[in-house]
Amino acid sequence: MTIIKKALFSAFFLFLAIVTFGQEKFTLNGYITNAEDGEALIGATIYVEELGIGSAANVYGFYSITLPKGNYTVQISYVTFNTLKETIELSSNQRLDLELQPESTTLEEIIITDEAIDDNVVNIEMSTEKLDIKTIEKIPAFLGEVDVLKSIQLLPGVSSVGEGSSGYNVRGGSVGQNLVLLDDAPVYNSSHLFGFFSVFNPDAVKDVKLIKGGIPANYGGRLASILDVRMKEGNTKKTTLSGGVGTVFSRLAVQGPIKKDKASYFVAGRRSYIDILAKPFTDGATLFFYDLTTKVNYNINEKNRLYLSGYFGRDVFKFDERQGFNWGNTTGTLRWNHLFNDRLFSNFAFIVSTFDYGFSFGENDLDQFDWDSRIVTYTFKPYFNYFLNTNNELSIGGEGTYYKFRPAEAIGVSDGEIRDISLDNKLAFESAVYIDNTQKISDRITLRYGLRYSNFQYLGEGTRYDFVNNNPGERKELVNAERVGSGESIADYGNIEPRASIRYKIGTGSIKASYTRTAQYIHLVSNTAAPTPIDLWTPSTNNVKPQLGDQYALGYFRNFGGGNNFETSIEGYYRETQNQVEYVNGADIFINELLEGDLIGGDGRAYGVELSVKKNAGKINGWLSYTLGRSELQTEGINNNEWYPTRFDQTHNLKLFGEYSFSEKTSISANFTYVSGTPITAPTSRFVQQGITIPFDYFDERNNYRIPATHRLDIGVKWVPGKPGKARKVKDYFVFSVYNIYGNKNPFSVFFSQKEGRVLPGNPTETVANQFSIIGAPVPAISYNFTF
Amino acid sequence: MKKTLIISTMIIFSFACEEEIDVTLREAPPAFVVDAWIDNTMTMQTVLVTRTQAYFDSSTPPPVSGATVTVTDSNGDTINFDETEPGVYSWNPEGGSVAIETIGTTYDLRVEVEGETFIASSQLNRVPVIDSIKFTFKEEQNQFQPEGFYGEFLATDPVGPGDTYWIKAYKNGELQNNPFDLNVAFDAGFNEGGNIDGVVFIQPIQDAVTPLNEDLDEIVPFVPGDSLYVEIHSITNEAFDFLQQVIIQTQRDGGFDEIFAEPLENVSSNIINTNPDSETKVVGFFNVAAIEGRGRRLE
Repeated sequence: MTIIKKALFSAFFLFLAIVTFGQEKFTLNGYITNAEDGEALIGATIYVEELGIGSAANVYGFYSITLPKGNYTVQISYVTFNTLKETIELSSNQRLDLELQPESTTLEEIIITDEAIDDNVVNIEMSTEKLDIKTIEKIPAFLGEVDVLKSIQLLPGVSSVGEGSSGYNVRGGSVGQNLVLLDDAPVYNSSHLFGFFSVFNPDAVKDVKLIKGGIPANYGGRLASILDVRMKEGNTKKTTLSGGVGTVFSRLAVQGPIKKDKASYFVAGRRSYIDILAKPFTDGATLFFYDLTTKVNYNINEKNRLYLSGYFGRDVFKFDERQGFNWGNTTGTLRWNHLFNDRLFSNFAFIVSTFDYGFSFGENDLDQFDWDSRIVTYTFKPYFNYFLNTNNELSIGGEGTYYKFRPAEAIGVSDGEIRDISLDNKLAFESAVYIDNTQKISDRITLRYGLRYSNFQYLGEGTRYDFVNNNPGERKELVNAERVGSGESIADYGNIEPRASIRYKIGTGSIKASYTRTAQYIHLVSNTAAPTPIDLWTPSTNNVKPQLGDQYALGYFRNFGGGNNFETSIEGYYRETQNQVEYVNGADIFINELLEGDLIGGDGRAYGVELSVKKNAGKINGWLSYTLGRSELQTEGINNNEWYPTRFDQTHNLKLFGEYSFSEKTSISANFTYVSGTPITAPTSRFVQQGITIPFDYFDERNNYRIPATHRLDIGVKWVPGKPGKARKVKDYFVFSVYNIYGNKNPFSVFFSQKEGRVLPGNPTETVANQFSIIGAPVPAISYNFTF
Repeated sequence: MKKTLIISTMIIFSFACEEEIDVTLREAPPAFVVDAWIDNTMTMQTVLVTRTQAYFDSSTPPPVSGATVTVTDSNGDTINFDETEPGVYSWNPEGGSVAIETIGTTYDLRVEVEGETFIASSQLNRVPVIDSIKFTFKEEQNQFQPEGFYGEFLATDPVGPGDTYWIKAYKNGELQNNPFDLNVAFDAGFNEGGNIDGVVFIQPIQDAVTPLNEDLDEIVPFVPGDSLYVEIHSITNEAFDFLQQVIIQTQRDGGFDEIFAEPLENVSSNIINTNPDSETKVVGFFNVAAIEGRGRRLE
C-alpha cells in the first residue's frame, strides 16, 4: 500500500514540476451550461482559434484551459447547440461561466461550423458510446416506453441474451460484469418488470456513457463495461412540468429553481398501471412498479457546488393480500464540487446504495415463510481533476466501499412454531487509489495512461469455510468451518490495474489503441439464461477468487462528408478473463450458507470486430452497428474441460436505426435488428429413474446447439399536434409505435421437456423440443408526452 | 421460488408464444442405465437395467437382459436379484433369510452385464416417523390456490445434521410422480446450507404433498373421500444431490420459466464401471431407503 501511495505522489509532483516551466500563463475556467435550463453540458468543447488547441468540460460541465497571456477568440460548442464565440483578453486568471443556446428548431439540420465537429476522431476515448436522451427518445420502443438500457443494446458490442431479458452483455462479458452507475452510485439490479424496462426514468436522465474498453483508471470494480448515467440537475431558470402517459406506465417530472441560477431541484416519478388494467383478469394478483428519481443542487459560490441525488424504486408482485414478493433499489449520492484553484477541480462523493428483495408465503400467521435478501454498500469517492496545462489533464482519486451482504434473513413459521433460518451476513471492504493522465504529445499523438491499485478484504464477523474439490464440476466437500471474529480478515486480495490508450492521427482519420486490466471482487450469482431479480451478489472469499480481465482494443476512426456528416469507426477487441464464476452441477443458490462450495472459477476469452456508421445530421439520420464476436469459457469439469461458447455468444449482431423528418410536425423512425442464434445445451438421449424421464447428453457438452437467428423491425411515428409554425404553450407530442411489426416469432430459447400431464405408471413418457418466444406478435402502442 | 417468478411474468405479458418444433439432435450410442432404488419394506424390490434411447424416442426404455444383479451388505450377506421380466431384476424379501433393516448398514450393488461390471454403494439411513397427516380447509387465496382442503404431513427431523429425504405423496393410492411432484429435504430444510436441523420440516416441504393439476398452473385441493398417503424415504446425501439435479433438469414447463432456466446438464450418477479404461458409459443411481409412511382419508 505505502509503495503505491509513494509512487502516486511522486508522479503527482513530477507533473507539478512540468507545469511550473515556461512563460507567463493564465487560466481560463468555468462551467458550461444550457442557457435554457441551466443544465451542465457534459463534454462541451472549448477551442482557441489562434492556438488551434482546445479542451472539454468534465462531467460537471467544468472546464479549465491554461494559455499564455494574450487576446483570443474562443469557440464553445456542443452538439445540437449553437456555437458561441467569445473574445477574451487574458491577462490574469479568469473565471468565465458560459451558457449555450440550444438550436432554435427541433429539426436537426446540417450543422456546418468553422471547425468540424470530429470529436470522435480527435478524442482519445475509444470503445466508448454516448447517447443523449434526445436520441434515446427517437428509438421506437417496446410498448412505446423509451428505455435507456434497451437503447444501448442497439450499439455495437452490446447484446442481450434475448428480448425482454434483464441486463445486457458487453463485448462477450456477462451481465454481472457491467458496472452501472447512477450519479456515481452503483445500481445492483437495473431492471423493472423482470427486465422489460430499466430503472432509469428517461425524464430524469441527462447523459448516458457506456465504456466498453480503454476504461480510464478512475473506474473499476467490473470486468466488462462501465455504464455511467448522469441525472438532470433541474432547471435553474424556470419551473417546468413534464410527463407522459403510455401503455405501461405514466411519468411526471417537476423541476425548477429554488433560487434562480443558484439552486434547483428535480423530481421525477413513474408508476406502472398494467396491474390496474389487468385486475379483472388476474383475480386479486397484482404486479406493478414505481420509482422516484430526485436531485437538488446548490451553487454555494464560485468555488463550491453541492449535489444531492437519490433514486428509489420498487417492483411489487402479490398473489393475494399476504403472499408475494418485491424487489427494489435505493441509492443516494451527495457530491461536493470544490475548486482548490483555477486548475484543480475536486469532487467528493458519499454514496449509499442498496438492493433488496423479499418473499412472503403462507396463508396465516401460523404457517408462513418470509425471506429477505439485501446488499448494502457505503462508498466514499474523492476525485481530483487537475488541468495541468494545455497538454496534460490529470485525474487522481480514490474509492472506498464497505459492503454488507445479507444473503437471507428468513423466518419460517410452521404450525405456530417460529424458526429463524437466516444466514450470516457477509462483510467486505473494497478500496482503490488511482492516477490517470491525458497527455497531448503532438497534434498527431495523444496518450492516456493510468494506474489503479485495488484491494479487497473479506471481513469477519463470519465463518471461514474450507472445501476440497474431489470431482471437478461437482459440489465441493466441506472440510472445515471456522468462526472469524469481527473486523478480522478472512481473505485479502490486491491488484495493480494498468490502463493505457493512444490516439494517432493519420490524415482525416485516427488510429486508437488501448489496454485495460480490470479486477472484480463481487460476483453476481446467476445460473439462469437471463438474470432474475433474486440473483445474489456475493463477495470474493478464500474460496471465490476475484475475477481478472485484460482487454486489448484497436480501432480506426474517420468522418466523411460536409460537416462530418458520417462518423465511422471500426474496432477490434480481445479480452481474456480469469476466475469467471461458474456453477457446479445442480448448484443451489437459494438460502445456501455453503454457496461457496457450489461456485467454481473458469477462464474466459472474448474477441470481435465492431463496425459503426452514424449519420448525425440532416432530415435522414441514424446509424448502423455491426458486431462479429465470440465469447467462450473454459472450466474444469464442464464440457470435458474444452472451451465452450457462453449462453449469450452471438456471431453476428446487426442493428440499423433511422429517422426521417417529414416536417416540423411529423417524423418517422425505424429500427431493424438481426442477431445470430445463441447457444443452448441439447441432449442426445434420455433415460428413466423411478418413473422420471431425464435428458442425457452422451457427449457431455455445454452449449452445443444454436437456436435460430432472430430479426425484427420496429416503427415509430412522432406527431406534434397544432398548426405548423405556431408555438403552443404546451410542448407536446404523440408517439405511435409498433414493435416487431411483421410479427416474427423470435426464439428466446429451445427447451426439452416431457409433455405436460401425469404419466400412468408403466407407460413411457413423451419428450419434445419447444421453442419459446417472448414476443411472438406485433406490439402496438401509443404514448403522449408533454412539457409546460 | 422459481414458480413464483414465472407466474408473475405470465400475468403481464401475453405476447409470448411457445410451439413444439422439430430439432435434429446429434446421434449418440446407447449407454447402460441402472435404476436401483430399493428399501426396507417387505414388498418386492426391483432393479431395472436398461439402455438410454434417443431423446425423441418415446417407446419403453430398451431392457437389458442376462445381467447378474446382487446387493451385498456390510455383514457380508448377499441378496440375488433375479430377472423376472426382460430388464427387470427382482427380490422378494418376504420369508427370506436376509433383510434390509439395520440403520447404518452399507450396501454394495454389483451388476455384471455384457462383459462389464458396474458397482455402486449406499447406506441405510434413519428416517423420522410421520406424526400426522392434516387437512386444512382454506379460502381461495389466489388463482393458483383455490378454495378447498389442503394436505400436509407433520414430522420432525431427528437432531444431528446431514439427514436427507425424498418425500413421496400418493393421492387415492396413486403415486404423484410428475417431475414437479419431486419433494426432497436436507434435514428439515431445502439444502445443507440452510442449517435447519432437528425440527419440524419447513412449511413449503410439508405443503408440497398437495399436488398440482395436469397443466401445472393450479393446486388441486382434496375433496371429501380423497385419501393422502405420505412416505418419507431416507436417502444418501449423494442421492439428494442427484435428485436436486433431476429437479432442475426436468421441471421445465416452458413459458417465462425459460428466462430463468438453468442450463441443461447431465445429472450425477453413483454407478461406476469397474474397468476405468472401458468405453462403455453407465448412468443411474443406487439408493437403499428406510421408509416411514402414514395415510389419511378426508371424511
